[in-house]
Amino acid sequence: MTGGLQAPLWRAIAVYRIAALAYAAVLVVSNAGGYERPMPAWPVLAAMAAWTVLTTYAYADPARRRAPLLVADQLITMAALTASIWIVGRPALEAGTPTLAVAWHVAPVLCWAVARGRRAGIVAALAMGATDLIVRAHFDQAASTGAVLMLLAAIAVGYLVRIADVAQERLERAIELEAATRERERLARDIHDSVLQVLALVKRRGAGLDGEAGNLARLAGEQEAALRSLVVARQSSDTGGDDLDLMALLQTYASPSVTVSGPAGAVALPAHAARELRAAVAAALDNVAQHCEPGTKIYLFVEDEPAQVVVTVRDDGCGIPPARLAQAEAQGRLGVAHSIRGRMADLGGRVKIVSAPGAGTEVEMTVPRAPIS
Amino acid sequence: MTAAIRVMVVDDHPMWREGVSRDLTAAGYEVVATTGEGRQAVRIAAAARPDVVVLDLHLPDVSGAEVITGLQGELPGVRILMLSASGEQQDVLDAMKAGATGYLLKSAGLPEFLDAVSRTAAGDTVFTPGLAGLVLGEFRRLAVTEPAGPRDDAPKLTERETEVLRLVAKGLSYRQIAERLVLSHRTVQNHVQNTLGKLQLHNRVELTRYAIEKGLYS
Repeated sequence: MTGGLQAPLWRAIAVYRIAALAYAAVLVVSNAGGYERPMPAWPVLAAMAAWTVLTTYAYADPARRRAPLLVADQLITMAALTASIWIVGRPALEAGTPTLAVAWHVAPVLCWAVARGRRAGIVAALAMGATDLIVRAHFDQAASTGAVLMLLAAIAVGYLVRIADVAQERLERAIELEAATRERERLARDIHDSVLQVLALVKRRGAGLDGEAGNLARLAGEQEAALRSLVVARQSSDTGGDDLDLMALLQTYASPSVTVSGPAGAVALPAHAARELRAAVAAALDNVAQHCEPGTKIYLFVEDEPAQVVVTVRDDGCGIPPARLAQAEAQGRLGVAHSIRGRMADLGGRVKIVSAPGAGTEVEMTVPRAPIS
Repeated sequence: MTAAIRVMVVDDHPMWREGVSRDLTAAGYEVVATTGEGRQAVRIAAAARPDVVVLDLHLPDVSGAEVITGLQGELPGVRILMLSASGEQQDVLDAMKAGATGYLLKSAGLPEFLDAVSRTAAGDTVFTPGLAGLVLGEFRRLAVTEPAGPRDDAPKLTERETEVLRLVAKGLSYRQIAERLVLSHRTVQNHVQNTLGKLQLHNRVELTRYAIEKGLYS
């Protein structure tokens, strides 16, 4: 509760207290002639000035903003208010002469509201308002308006403080997040400069070796690819709005056997379309994994055209004889093709599957930029 | 081969530099210079007179595109095979536009690497499927961002060139592309080379125009 955004509020209260003291002093000077006992008014005013100075310093220290100081503030202010009965005198007060602590008595209420929130502010405002009304001894609308204003101020300030606390918390979280992002980028650079290069080197130098060494080299190569795709994982926030960057989504599939290519910039698509395309690509990749030999190379190619986005998944595997493809589809046995076609149809797009024995399979998915609704 | 092909290796990673140099020497190339800094590479290029520069895209001192511009200034027409550990798309594209003649990922195997060096030395363009995707994307971007008009000089690909690039991006080899389109291997190679040439020419025109505008208005 001692967040950085509260400090200006405490300074504002100190300024208010000083301004209110000056106002009270002016009123005392101009009204002293009508007081029942004018002489003791000056020591009371001096005491108020001393308390103003003391509280200005005391509240500036977050460690002192506790119950003892708040209670003392409230009681001393109430005492100055109550002294008005003896000094100003009943008849003058009833005639409408202001109290000695006019306006100045709101300061402790504001302190309660800032230090302890809305509820404490309301309680302090009620106590101070009651004291003020009793001292003034008349209960017309002007008197109660002052008390109500003080109550509303306490509520408003209490609310403001809560908002300031929430804002402070969010700011701190945002700063932490930014630091974490920076750290991640630094790590990515370091990994890129050292680890990736060594792994690639190990892979290359051991590629021709047999047995254990060759295995180690292959493992190094796989780790290099996995690490590389982690490090270059692109930010997808640059497309704005509800769009997603299709390239960033598909980049996650890059591996030693899957090559991802496409334009340098983001390929923005509505989030739904981008996710459906990714799911269709995943289905196509699964299909290759199921039907082709391990080690089959896959090429994922994204084309960003003004009116449409084309994603091609090509493998250099065994391929499917055209007759069998049509036959399987007619019998409803081609589950994967079916799911891809379904997804593309929903987006108003189309699918072309080309395959020949020995020439691999090519699945071309085209999605219009403005989907038919 | 009467005289060995002269190669300069530029890479800030000492182990890589050594490994690559050893592999190249073993394969019959003459490694005439090695360095880990881009500025130094440009300084010593004229004295070392390499036929081929094997260049790491990410050097600590200057960007890949700057090194390539510098090298082309010192040794016009020098062939540059660019390597990178990770395919930061925009960097790769910028370097190719600046005048690199080939691109390969560092994760490529040794036979693939040696093949790329020999093709680079022979004057061929070395494309990966990823690079083909980038180049196609760049032509499409230029077509969209530079609207038709009196200044309509956005480079365009012929239908055949687009077709060839798409097939390269889909991972087909030049031989497979030649078979599919009923072309000669040489023609496929020429189409790929032309696409890069158009992009590099456009880049030079843009740089010149930028320089003129700066000169006129400042």
